[in-house]
Amino acid sequence: MELLWILIDDAFFAAIPAVGFAMVFNVPVRFLKYCAIAGAIGHSFRRFLLHFDFPIEWATFAAAALIGIITISFAKRHLAPPLMYAVAAIIPMIPGSYAFNTVIGLVQLSAQSEVSAELTAFVITNGLKTVFILGALSVGLAMPSLLYYRTRPVI
Amino acid sequence: MYADTQNDITRQVVRVAQLLLAYGAESELIEEISQRLGKALGLESVELSISSNSLVLTSLVHGRCVTTTRRLREHGINMTIVCELQRICVLTEKGLYGLYEVRKRLARIEAKTYPAKYLIPMIGLSCASFCHLFGGDWQADVITFFASAIGMAVRLYIAKRHFNLLINFAVTAFVTNLVAQFGYIYPVTATPQLPMVASVLMLVPGFPMINAISDMVKGHMNVGISRWGLATLLTVSSVIGITIAMQLGGRFL
Repeated sequence: MELLWILIDDAFFAAIPAVGFAMVFNVPVRFLKYCAIAGAIGHSFRRFLLHFDFPIEWATFAAAALIGIITISFAKRHLAPPLMYAVAAIIPMIPGSYAFNTVIGLVQLSAQSEVSAELTAFVITNGLKTVFILGALSVGLAMPSLLYYRTRPVI
Repeated sequence: MYADTQNDITRQVVRVAQLLLAYGAESELIEEISQRLGKALGLESVELSISSNSLVLTSLVHGRCVTTTRRLREHGINMTIVCELQRICVLTEKGLYGLYEVRKRLARIEAKTYPAKYLIPMIGLSCASFCHLFGGDWQADVITFFASAIGMAVRLYIAKRHFNLLINFAVTAFVTNLVAQFGYIYPVTATPQLPMVASVLMLVPGFPMINAISDMVKGHMNVGISRWGLATLLTVSSVIGITIAMQLGGRFL
């Protein structure tokens, strides 16, 4: 029951940025709600997997692949490119805090007179997480077209 | 097919490809749409060479080739236009549109963006949601809302005056981060670090990054790498803005 509330909270607060960024990318008004749906499902699915102690990279990969499948079904119905929904939908999963910590750590490293092992470890862990989550996002998103739509167009 | 007709069709197809590239479609989609449109309008084949700021297109009918090059500049991302072009392509393929209708609809395309009065509060709310998802309390969410809404207003203001995108990102990040440090000065929130993280997330170049990896995975190496380069530069310039703001506020060092 508690998990359900967490997931609903997650879905709601992931839908808002999906719509906000869809507006920055100038997605037509009639498609905004589909961006919200895809974003909400993707992010709460990732939270669901994280709840069962999946590593965040694999959870992100699975959620991005799910978003890829959902957005292809939207795209077929509306004759619109699937990436239009998908990029807005995965925005809430972009590893923003890891990326922020990485670059702030880097700047602090360069400002210090000697390299501290603690700060270096901080930069490396956060940087690796950033890179792998980003890779998981975009390869997961491309999964349907890499596996299923190999020789024919989606629409 | 007369030579005039081939020239005209080629012009329309290259216009479609140019718009797609300028408004942020991935290379695979550009190639696919222009080839399908060209074939639907009666060309035998369409070959494209795409690079980051220009494209070369050759059309072939009855052994006669037409090659044309288009230079283009960045316009930012506009999915409405990409969507419209995809629709033109599909309708032409189904036989509903001929050359005349394609030309008419292409001439009508113009880039419309959302007005600032919707965009600014929506981005504020988006970043506040990020802050909530990272585990911030509601005071932190409010700070994030104002920081990113002010940042977005600055970003739109600068973009309207046609400044370089990199300068735009650096200045926006600077202003946003300055506002987000409010939680350190007045201890209203238990998590003063989260507004600083969440409010600058509106500057993450999501579309260039996803397009870059998607292009590279599907074999369009040079376009992918140049898009990746752009995304990296944008990130670096916003980091410069953040760093200056944090040093001014004495947050580290």
